[in-house]
Amino acid sequence: MTDRSLIARPVAHRVRWRTPSFDRISFYGLPLVLPLAVLTIWQVATVRGWLAPQILPSPSDVAVTFIDLFVSGDIVTGLAISLRRILVGFALGATGGLVLGVALGRSIRVEQYVGPSLRAIAQVPSLGWLPFLMLIFGLGETLNYVVIAKACFVPIALSTAAGIRNIPVRYIEVARVLRLRRRTMVLRVVLPGALPTIFSGVRIALGHAWIAMVVVEMLADTAGVGYMMTWGRTLFQIDIVIVGMVVIGIVGFAMDAGLRATERRLRQWTPDHV
Amino acid sequence: MRATNLLDIRAVSKTYIVDDEPVEVLRNIHFTVAEEEFVTVIGESGCGKSTLLRLIVGLDIGYCGDILLDGTRIAAPGRDRGIVFQDHRLLPWLSVEQNVALGLDASDESPAAVKQAVAANLDLVKLADFGRAYPHQLSGGMAQRAAIARALVAKPRILLLDEPLGALDSQTRAYLQDELLRIHQRGKVTMVMVTHDIEEAVYLSDKIVVMEPRPGRVRGIVPVELPHPRNRAAADFIAVKERVLASLVNGPPLCFDAAPKSRPIVPDGRARRFG
Repeated sequence: MTDRSLIARPVAHRVRWRTPSFDRISFYGLPLVLPLAVLTIWQVATVRGWLAPQILPSPSDVAVTFIDLFVSGDIVTGLAISLRRILVGFALGATGGLVLGVALGRSIRVEQYVGPSLRAIAQVPSLGWLPFLMLIFGLGETLNYVVIAKACFVPIALSTAAGIRNIPVRYIEVARVLRLRRRTMVLRVVLPGALPTIFSGVRIALGHAWIAMVVVEMLADTAGVGYMMTWGRTLFQIDIVIVGMVVIGIVGFAMDAGLRATERRLRQWTPDHV
Repeated sequence: MRATNLLDIRAVSKTYIVDDEPVEVLRNIHFTVAEEEFVTVIGESGCGKSTLLRLIVGLDIGYCGDILLDGTRIAAPGRDRGIVFQDHRLLPWLSVEQNVALGLDASDESPAAVKQAVAANLDLVKLADFGRAYPHQLSGGMAQRAAIARALVAKPRILLLDEPLGALDSQTRAYLQDELLRIHQRGKVTMVMVTHDIEEAVYLSDKIVVMEPRPGRVRGIVPVELPHPRNRAAADFIAVKERVLASLVNGPPLCFDAAPKSRPIVPDGRARRFG
């Protein structure tokens, strides 16, 4: 008599859940579990009065404040100012970082002169520069741009240099054999080859820039989302602070998602598994 | 009949420094390649045949002896030489057309002329319909043909092939061997190909340079005087194959061509093959 339990049993009952619709639900649904859980605990905490409403306003209070701030235009104006700053600062810092990164990655001499200093500077948080930069540029738009640009500049320069140095030698050899012109070399070999690494640097840069911007607005400015939060804290209106946090989180997430989509489009030449 | 030597390799030696130790890769290499000749260099791995191609193409210019192309010593990559590597090395982010056009980047051709040359060469390698495709969309054989087009587009005097068919399946390989012959005959291109496949060497070339390893030396040069198209099963084909094999394995050194005056003494007591 054969022991039937030893015969391989079909495992269909385990696989059944792995249907396309289940995958879709898990793709869109699972990331929402954690925020919903936090929201629930938050709601329970306020209903039960675990914390004073002055310290932790209820989700519905925050929602009302959000709508008020939205309708009054405070959020929109603040956000427009903040996004403008990010845009200008990021454009300045990213361009500079890209240029220096290409120079660092292509020239050993530039790397020897500048590389170690840049890596040392990278260790000082952008905000560590703030008191110093405030003295130089004073309070105002220039200061915002400089701090944001600096936050972008360093990670983009370093990742561009690393990406260029990691381009496979076989492509560099092809370029040498074909005696490509410098311009073609940079535009057709070096930058596309370094693109994945550059993009991870750009994403880090945008994250740093966003953080730097909020903090500069909180400490040294009178407009923007960051200022709105300081203002809320001064008035002891924590709901405004929370609205600010949520807006900053969502916009930052959206920018990162936009960057990832851009990268995917720029990298259409690779099959998905590479 | 082939009086002019396009490529003249004279007493070429090459030593790498690995971990402060000198490693001799090539010792006293001599051979010549005539205009429009198809020469293969054959030998087991480690005999420095790829290194030799890198020296000829100009990727590595630190060598002793002389590599003369049309009488001029090679000191850098140049338009007069094209190379196809074992891996196709097409840039994955450029289309086939764009990859091939890179071959003319250093030239002063007008965009229209470049376009025409690219189209003509894609046509030559039978990829006319795949100009817009990206390398990852091509099969291995097609990618290698695109690489050949890229190497030929600048009309080099000599095409160097570093085991270009080594990574392909045998069917594609046989097909591409015929394609190489067709390109060789139609384009009147001089070709130097490195391979470790004896049959491929006999099938394709006018002359086979047999090398031995550690350090890489020329053991012998076997002329192949069979008419094209060659029949792999014919008796004279097999005879040439046997001769190459014999000189590869343990036969006496064969020298039918401009031979070096003196062969250096083999230091590690491998003189048995002379006996």
